Amino acid sequence: MKRQRHRFKMIALFLFALFLLLGLYGVWSVTHYGSRWFSYAGNPRLAAQKENVVEGDILDRHGTVLASTDDGRRIFSSSPQARAAMVHVLGDRNGMIANSVETFQAGYLYGYQSSLSDAVHLLMTPSDVRKGNTVTLTLDAGLNTVLPGFFQLHPLSAGKNGAAVVMNYLTGEVLAMTSLPCFDPDTVTDADIASLDHPFWNRATQALYPPGSTFKIVTSAAAMKAIPDIQSQSFECTGTLPVSETFAVHDFNSVTHGTLSLRDAFRRSCNCVYASLALKLGDDALRSAAESFGFNQNFLFRDLVVYNSSYPVSNRTFDAIAASGYGQSALTATPVHMCLISAAVANGGTMPEPRLIRSVKTASGSQVLSFSTASARRVCSDEIASELSSMMKDVVQGGGSGNLADIPSLDIRGKTGTAESSLNGEKINYAWFTGFNAQPELPVAVCILVENIPDGETGGTVSAPVAKDVFMWLKNNISQVLSSDP
Amino acid sequence: MSKKHNRTPGRRLVAVVMLFYFLAFLLLAVRKSSREGYILSIAVPLMIFLGTNLLPHMFKADRLLLSLSNFLCALGVLILYDTNPAYAYQQAVSYGIGLLSMVICILLVRSVFSWRLLVWPLILISLLLLALPVLWGKETNGAKNWIALGPVSFQPSEVVKLSLVISLAWFMSRRKMIPWLLFSVLCLILLMLQKDLGTALLYYMTALMLYWASAGSMIFTGIGILGGCAAAVYGYNQFSHVRRRVAIWLNPWADFENAGYQLVQGLMAIASGGLFGVGLGLGMPTAIPVYESDFIFAVICEQFGLIFGICVLLMYIALIWRGVSVAMSARRSFHSLLAMGSTVLLGFQTFVIIGGVLKLIPLTGVTMPFVSYGGTSLISSLCLIGFIQGVGSMNESDLEEDTHLAMLG
Repeated sequence: MKRQRHRFKMIALFLFALFLLLGLYGVWSVTHYGSRWFSYAGNPRLAAQKENVVEGDILDRHGTVLASTDDGRRIFSSSPQARAAMVHVLGDRNGMIANSVETFQAGYLYGYQSSLSDAVHLLMTPSDVRKGNTVTLTLDAGLNTVLPGFFQLHPLSAGKNGAAVVMNYLTGEVLAMTSLPCFDPDTVTDADIASLDHPFWNRATQALYPPGSTFKIVTSAAAMKAIPDIQSQSFECTGTLPVSETFAVHDFNSVTHGTLSLRDAFRRSCNCVYASLALKLGDDALRSAAESFGFNQNFLFRDLVVYNSSYPVSNRTFDAIAASGYGQSALTATPVHMCLISAAVANGGTMPEPRLIRSVKTASGSQVLSFSTASARRVCSDEIASELSSMMKDVVQGGGSGNLADIPSLDIRGKTGTAESSLNGEKINYAWFTGFNAQPELPVAVCILVENIPDGETGGTVSAPVAKDVFMWLKNNISQVLSSDP
Repeated sequence: MSKKHNRTPGRRLVAVVMLFYFLAFLLLAVRKSSREGYILSIAVPLMIFLGTNLLPHMFKADRLLLSLSNFLCALGVLILYDTNPAYAYQQAVSYGIGLLSMVICILLVRSVFSWRLLVWPLILISLLLLALPVLWGKETNGAKNWIALGPVSFQPSEVVKLSLVISLAWFMSRRKMIPWLLFSVLCLILLMLQKDLGTALLYYMTALMLYWASAGSMIFTGIGILGGCAAAVYGYNQFSHVRRRVAIWLNPWADFENAGYQLVQGLMAIASGGLFGVGLGLGMPTAIPVYESDFIFAVICEQFGLIFGICVLLMYIALIWRGVSVAMSARRSFHSLLAMGSTVLLGFQTFVIIGGVLKLIPLTGVTMPFVSYGGTSLISSLCLIGFIQGVGSMNESDLEEDTHLAMLG
């Protein structure tokens, strides 16, 4: 009987544990996924709220109105360039752009989630004047408006699809983000939409590209962690590195680099050295470095829906591992993520959480949400970060592959990449530049991606000049960009 | 003795609960301007009063257990009145019948001394009842577990729960392993044929836990667990509806307009409630398919918030705790196992459905005890509470006899 009582107690404890699990899982999933569940397009509550509430305004960091509602109609900026440049961040009228501010922040804009006092206030106000919350973004409308123009200034990137992300690497605030092709939500016609290549797609957050040589940042970090004296070793590049009978790594244009240090290999973006490094490190070490840089992680940022980057876990042949060293073989990342990797290097190894919302205020002016930074993850040690930063300095300022991004009065560091992929059986190349300004008075990271570049062109020739324009604009408008009060 | 009963949990708490329901129903009645709402605002607190205050005068009942089950039943009626008044009237009637059935079950436990004569006919009737839907059942939500007798339609598996608990407890107390095993397996097979996987899982867990609690043999319990796992794997490979359930659980968003629609709508409802809920009568709970039964927990979370949802979980925990302590203080093996079986069945059923709604485990269509719409389910849940109360009142009488004898001695 005594033993039986003991077993009864065990069963009771088992049931209690199950209920504890229920409670903890419920709280965890609602706090982590709640806003994503709520803002899903199929939520009938939002449609109902739209009938009763006037959608709130969207402002940029200086208080410029980016979207407002007048007589039931949504009004975006008055300048056509501004409307087009920010259409992917803000959203279009028909909700075709997924996870834009208009859809992802609908709970705030329609005042669905508010404090108790606000709920009472809303109930007391006659329904025809009920207004949602005002959402202030971290964006700088001036920079964001001219961003697509920088692509058009250079013949190699003009008219191409692509994406650009600019963020403050200390706070994670996204200052500008654009996706090309973009369109003016006020004047766009169905024929325009049909003629553009996936215009509703926010390529900065939701397009997964092979990172190519920009991934060498991660491979270098893994190598420096695993092999402490790696900087004093030398490598031999013969232009090709046969991995198996069917696959050999080639350098761009089959250049032979000769004897190189790791620093030289990074500066000149030598694939052979990085392929051999990947094979030496092994798949597990490289994957674990990639995962600490955010690959294979479920990004649950508060303000942005960013698709998850991946470092494949299955089907890992030696060919694939070698190609992973320079960011090929089914590795994928978004431009926002590659920008975050630069931000992490600039920030001493801590990747900030990207933020898009500065504040949310009710129509009556009380604060619902105010800005707070939170570091997303620690990606590498301080020492490795400063070493990576100095290697990225060589790329831009030491005559490396990114020299076209250099501006003498700034301290620009970065990494270029030329990624290969095939689309419908055709080879397609992507040009990357991800980098940052190391001066503390202008703590900005930039990532530029250009799709489908001509054969023979590289990230250094296509994307670096666009990045240079962005940095130049930032330098000329430094006082405006970093002021935060509207 | 009466002093002790007055102490826990206090008439004042019951008064607060009654006031809460009076105001809640009144609020909705004014909003809907419906006469039935005013009637409910009086009737439901009255039933709570009768259920928690009158019964302890008749038997030595556990007041906490009574208050908790009455609170949950009334919560069900309240939610249903907001979302679909017609369901609420039926539910209120079932609540009344359930309270009477609970009294009958208490009397049954107290007065039947020869269960042997009852158990065999009970088993026969149970198996017949479970076989009926297989032959003439009507299919709802993918399972063929309802039968219609003229105007009344009911779910035999809910009724059989009661005889399952009685007969398993009796067999175990007499160490009759072969009939125990045969009856359990036959029930499970019939439930599988009805495609009622949720109930099958409940029966299986109840049988297994009762066996381990009384026999304590790790080897046979292990074999039972392995057998259950084998059946689960077989079911997954054999039945497409099982595979579909698992696929929906893994990613309801993949096909959120069809297969995953219900789960996704439930999650949206929970998310839109936030921590404190949108408020009684507000929100759009009726957008969730089967909001009145399987997904009533999502409705509770949307209207009253996640914190209240967790309080509801705590109420079930308190209920389990009382049930287990009644089982532990029982003098007779049969009584102890009867109370334990009823508690395990109620507790596990709650976990299975709330876990399914929160997407912690694959969704299986069982009801949330006391709260979900459904007469058979509500009545059988209150009958299980009746069993626990019956055993509890027997314990009290035994204790009283002891003190009496001690005083004589």
